[in-house]
Amino acid sequence: MREILFLNSLDNIAVCLGDIESGRVISQDGRSVTAIENIPRGHKISTRDIAKGEGIIKYGERMGHATQDIACGAHVHVHNVLGDRLSTESS
Amino acid sequence: MSALTGFKRSDGRWGFRNHVLVLPLHQVLSNTAREVEGLVDGAVAVSHDWSGEVDSDFERIAKVLAGIANNPNNFATIFLTVGTPIETEIITRSRSLGATELHVLSLSELGSMTALLAHATNLATQLTQKATAVVRVDAPMSAIVLGLECGGSDAYSGITANPALGLASDRLVAQGATSILAETMEILGSEHLLAARAITPEVGKQIIDVVARYERSISYEGIDIRGAQPSRGNIEGGLSTLEEKSLGAAKKAGSAQFTGVLEYADTPPTPGLYFMDTPGHDIEQLTAFAGAGVNITVFTTGRGTPTGSAVMPTIKVATNSEMGLVLTDLIDLNAGTISDGVQTLDEVGDLIYQEILDVANGKLAKAEINGQHEFNLSRLYGSTL
Repeated sequence: MREILFLNSLDNIAVCLGDIESGRVISQDGRSVTAIENIPRGHKISTRDIAKGEGIIKYGERMGHATQDIACGAHVHVHNVLGDRLSTESS
Repeated sequence: MSALTGFKRSDGRWGFRNHVLVLPLHQVLSNTAREVEGLVDGAVAVSHDWSGEVDSDFERIAKVLAGIANNPNNFATIFLTVGTPIETEIITRSRSLGATELHVLSLSELGSMTALLAHATNLATQLTQKATAVVRVDAPMSAIVLGLECGGSDAYSGITANPALGLASDRLVAQGATSILAETMEILGSEHLLAARAITPEVGKQIIDVVARYERSISYEGIDIRGAQPSRGNIEGGLSTLEEKSLGAAKKAGSAQFTGVLEYADTPPTPGLYFMDTPGHDIEQLTAFAGAGVNITVFTTGRGTPTGSAVMPTIKVATNSEMGLVLTDLIDLNAGTISDGVQTLDEVGDLIYQEILDVANGKLAKAEINGQHEFNLSRLYGSTL
């Protein structure tokens, strides 16, 4: 049983298929990621270090950017991600 | 035996069914059409609520009615008319489209509802017998005109059924098929990403423009969709940005380049991936596909909607196993195995691809078995969309 879903080889995130606890080592599909915090089911985990300002890539497409540095294995969500469109429009 | 078989129409298009469609051109004949459908095996019917009004929506309605009559899945179409000039206009328009054998039965000429039903039943019986005698022949992959649809979406749509369908769509498009993504409100937020995948800058601009047109139409009502999205429930489910939500819907169309943009119910002129400007309402969208000549559709669903079409086989793909393994009499494939962690996107993409070919080749989709013949004329009531 897979615990996370890699959607595209270009992605820097994966989707958690169940609640993932901090410290959990996930090894599947020939890759390994260690969760560094608790991440709920359906939410995203970073699969590599992502620098502030760098794109968040899901489905091989840019769904927004990091508003702070995001370490590999972190919870990637509204606290550290902003959509590109929305941020441009509201500035 | 080729991987794909179908019925070649005189205009070069292909059908995967050989229906006799009974199409009322006035609301009051809908019941008669339904009666014929019930009496004649092989006849299908739609009912609708148009009763001859010529207003700002007439062009849209005429296009859909003329188009569905000529859907390549029809061997023949029997128009039922009350006998007005406006009906004749739609029939003339349908004849100019070409392929399907068209017949007209008029209430005013036949003189009674009883006579209309009797004549329609006899004619439908003769035509279905003729249709049965036509055999399938080997078809090229370009025969497929696939409609992509989602309805009753859930938190899994964007990670299971939609991207898996996108893989199947990409594979078909790469082999010369046509595939159509629709529902303008659902791509709002990722239109710039889809535009970047357009085959020319002009097509990219058209994608941006149809979304802008939609935004202008809803801004009249004071709705700010971008600011309100993703919703609180979406965020709880794990969606972080509007782009992410919108990409989850648009991933039904995979990663292929967009060849063009179609207005509501327009027929795609060449193979490739298209975006069609339609409302977000499932049945209005399926109706637009039927009018455009789509010959097979795949419909991803989180809640399990039974919706189908009289003329297009409609394959239902469940986004989650909780629903997919329960509503088995309306779900054709369960993509919930992806979020269960037991199958990969590629594996389910392959299953959807094969199901499209199997259903094109004659396997009945659940919505066909269940006789789901929904049809809704889309009206704009003078708005700018």
